[in-house]
Amino acid sequence: MPVVEERIACVHCDTVVAIGPLEPGQRASCPRCGNLLTACVEDGLSRVLALALASLMLLALANSFPFMALEAQGLEKVMTLPATARELYAQGYGVLAVLVLGVIVVIPAAMLAILVALTVSLLRGQAAPWLVPAGRLLYAMSPWSMVEVFVIGVIVSLVKIVHLAHVDLGIAFWSYTAFGICFIATLASLDRLSLWQEIEQCTS
Amino acid sequence: MHELSAFPAGSAAAQGLASCHVCYKLAPASSGDCPRCGAALHLRIRDSLQKSFALLVTATILYIPANLLPIMITAQLGTEIESTILGGVILLWEMESYPVASVIFIASVMVPVGKMLALYWLCWSVARGHESSRQQRTRLYRWTEFIGRWSMVDVFVVTILVALIHLGGVMMITPGTASIAFGGVVIVTMLAAESFDPRLIWDQLREGEDG
Repeated sequence: MPVVEERIACVHCDTVVAIGPLEPGQRASCPRCGNLLTACVEDGLSRVLALALASLMLLALANSFPFMALEAQGLEKVMTLPATARELYAQGYGVLAVLVLGVIVVIPAAMLAILVALTVSLLRGQAAPWLVPAGRLLYAMSPWSMVEVFVIGVIVSLVKIVHLAHVDLGIAFWSYTAFGICFIATLASLDRLSLWQEIEQCTS
Repeated sequence: MHELSAFPAGSAAAQGLASCHVCYKLAPASSGDCPRCGAALHLRIRDSLQKSFALLVTATILYIPANLLPIMITAQLGTEIESTILGGVILLWEMESYPVASVIFIASVMVPVGKMLALYWLCWSVARGHESSRQQRTRLYRWTEFIGRWSMVDVFVVTILVALIHLGGVMMITPGTASIAFGGVVIVTMLAAESFDPRLIWDQLREGEDG
């Protein structure tokens, strides 16, 4: 995504900064408070599209296969992501089920679906009335995805249980971990200013 | 409230320009909505300090049941053991799982407490017109914004243990009320950080001062 010339204000200190045009690999930071304002990513839109598609496929796998299985004293319990939410709900912890599934599956999935739709539209130069609301929805959701935090949570849980029982890691565990990496890479390739500049160019 | 001369020279607000919080477009504040993305334009977040402070107080109150009530209940062969966040950390430490005990202690105790203290200090310093380094305070704000979600680790751990350890009558883990209270602390502190407008730190910049 190229960054074209634009005068913006730093969101953290309100200093007016004239940006760009930036070459791929270049970044612009606020001269007063050091906040990263924008970063130009080479082939940003294609990169975001590729990584978002990969993330979506991995997330689908993570929701379709067993995450982990626990074996102790001849008994076995298999855990899957959708069943986790269902069991929490059945135990009267519906709020927790919605919160957890929301921040680790639903919000990331919705963000990725929006990113795929946006980047395909922008790459093909097709203006559509939903581009702007889709972009706003994307940035409204972005603080609430906690994919990488969940991956750490899984690792901590594993360490807590290994001495209790035998734990088998399922396909979904590896898929979710790979999904976490791809999801972070997707967001790292996405630059807010250049995405909005592309949307503006496409719709005007 | 919006006397343009009240804003420091060089700031967008001094020229009557508002920065869109969604798409970064710089547009006259009088235009109401952002010309690029349609989000409402404000020179500053409205009642930022009040909102942020109110949410901080809410988070502080929620943090009490989050620590006093059990976060999970382990039932093993007829006996039930309730464990609190700190109890879990101490147990892990005694079992010599030092790295995991540290991760949970940092994520569930140090991060939320540090974050709330940092935001209290930011609100207080802006309300009092404090002169301490504006760059450092802005960096502190960015830290609170970045670190907030990481406190969810313990809630996720409880969720996973509840889902996984469910072996008939042999052993079973159920969530405790503190898990909801603690999830609430994380969400409310994230909202408090979002309501705090770091530009207020720089609005008190005096002529000749460089922050």
